[in-house]
Amino acid sequence: MMLRASSSVNDLELDLSLVRGEASENEAVQHAPALANLVDSSVNDLETLSTARAALVDVSDEETMIDACAVVANFEMMTRIADGTGTRHPPERLDAIGDISHSLGLDQFTSARI
Amino acid sequence: MSQTPTSIIKACHQSSGLEIRPDLTAAHAHVWEKLAAPGTWWDGTERLAIAKVVRTALEDPDPTPPWVSASSTGRLAHSSVLSSQLQDAIYRLTRHAGTLTEDWYLSMRDATAITHQQWVEVIDVVISVASVLRFAQLAGIDRPEFPTALDGEPSRQEQPSKPANHHWVPVVHLEDMTPELEPFYKGLPVIAPVIRALSSVPAAMDTLSVLSNAQYIPNREMVDLNWSRGNLSRRQMEFVAGRLSAHRECFY
Repeated sequence: MMLRASSSVNDLELDLSLVRGEASENEAVQHAPALANLVDSSVNDLETLSTARAALVDVSDEETMIDACAVVANFEMMTRIADGTGTRHPPERLDAIGDISHSLGLDQFTSARI
Repeated sequence: MSQTPTSIIKACHQSSGLEIRPDLTAAHAHVWEKLAAPGTWWDGTERLAIAKVVRTALEDPDPTPPWVSASSTGRLAHSSVLSSQLQDAIYRLTRHAGTLTEDWYLSMRDATAITHQQWVEVIDVVISVASVLRFAQLAGIDRPEFPTALDGEPSRQEQPSKPANHHWVPVVHLEDMTPELEPFYKGLPVIAPVIRALSSVPAAMDTLSVLSNAQYIPNREMVDLNWSRGNLSRRQMEFVAGRLSAHRECFY
């Protein structure tokens, strides 16, 4: 998982439960709560999207908000490529991410072609 | 005179009052130019019909469950160029991609008689529309309308794709690189499975490459774990990516 790699390369401790659970402020991911709120609103509650957008701009700036929206758009793409083509990880990669996928419950997804 | 695809995107981005990066506007304009033009296996009218199903699925406030035929509920307009089974498959890929299985894929191909390469091009249209419309929705800008379908025949350009261990669809392996795939393969020691997933249709690889470069990280910068444009850090990007992927129940 790239989040773990990009944290460890900077000697930053990161609790990966941040990805699925409540996002709290932490050293590794600046503005994690506001970023999580934007993503969650975009999926679960479009009525709150403008508030989430404004909150992210408040703690960062407009350019950061736009870049975050672009990353969401990108993974609306990547998830459909992976799941539309049945893409799976090579065995060595599965071994490397086995602890994360199990602890976060990702291996329970229908899309876990393992 | 109707607007060009590029002018549609530019007008939406410019009227937002936001400082949207020019490379992001250009990337969305690029895929909008291709959206309703003849592709590799579908013509412009067919690609536009696929795009309309994607838009309906994305905007459906009360989506059908994955196991229900969306076309049977009356929410998809009748299409003279797409079968109801293919419309259902497009709707499900758009709205419930994380529920797809290999059995579903095999059954869908039996029901629609679609080739692997035609399906890859369906994904090309799905990712174009999903990227452009979801970005507009998230950023709070006007939704770009679809361009007009262009006349012309698909190119039907074959690639030396082979059955793959890591995909349902055949892919072109690195050692079989063709001139059309050089922009995406050349100089890279390995190609991640999710990148080569679309390689049987180079035009779809182009869509992936152009959008990823502007929306996320240029493929050749992926190895730099501190790469950033100066606003969102690499860790923030990966956090957003991971959280969205978890919501979509995408294991990969």
